[in-house]
Amino acid sequence: MSPASLDEALVAAAQAGSADAYSRLVERHQQPVRAFLRRACGDWAEADDLAQQTFLTAWLRIGRLKAGASVRSWLCGIGYNKHLTAVRSGSRDRVREASYEAEREPPQGPDAADRMALEAAMAELPAEQRACVALCLAADFSHTEAAEALGLPLGTVKSHVMRGRARLLQALGGPDGR
Amino acid sequence: MGDDDRLKALFAYDEPPQRDLVFSSAVMAEVMRRRFMADVAMLSGVSALGGAALWALWPLLQPAVVAISQGLAPLIVACGLATGAVVLLGGRQAPALLGLES
Repeated sequence: MSPASLDEALVAAAQAGSADAYSRLVERHQQPVRAFLRRACGDWAEADDLAQQTFLTAWLRIGRLKAGASVRSWLCGIGYNKHLTAVRSGSRDRVREASYEAEREPPQGPDAADRMALEAAMAELPAEQRACVALCLAADFSHTEAAEALGLPLGTVKSHVMRGRARLLQALGGPDGR
Repeated sequence: MGDDDRLKALFAYDEPPQRDLVFSSAVMAEVMRRRFMADVAMLSGVSALGGAALWALWPLLQPAVVAISQGLAPLIVACGLATGAVVLLGGRQAPALLGLES
């Protein structure tokens, strides 16, 4: 069974009320959703909180998911809206965020400097652009999938990805940074 | 390595594990807790509604209930005794009940 058809079968079972099927959907999709939110908001603890809320909301709305729709895109869309709501309402705990950043160990390993530069450059991108970059450059979403997940026009997504990519490469000292 | 591959390799450091039972279990525990709370709320609402309806309609229902209960009293007692016998003796085998086992 292909991943898409397995997702479809699990969604159908979850829509019929199966908690086991939903549990398998959570297991299958927790990685891409959490990775996207980590890159979109920059704070891993906050991202995991948002991911948990995302899956709780998805459970309540699973009946609205159309047959054949991409579960990954749908979940990332819910997560993105949660992230935007948190940012707009100012509910992020600034004190916690500051202490988290202070306590967090700087990246180690051969790419440590590049990773720090990438994190800093991502933090400076506008929210929409950052989300587009996180989906299309880091998670292999097509532009169409990203547009669907984020509720943005396709042209806007393409433009955000192109500009975001240029800014990231510039920060990394790549060819677009000349 | 191309620019896109380089970016992707750097982004890969943010990737959570493919399987994370702690996260999945936490999500499902919260899902089940909310489902339970929704069930409790629904049952409470239905019970309250039923109680209120019974209270409001009791003056109308009371004569009928009294009449029916007087007619059905022997049947109710018989059903009660049969149920009690099944509950008390339900785990025992028929030969034992009939005293055929040594």
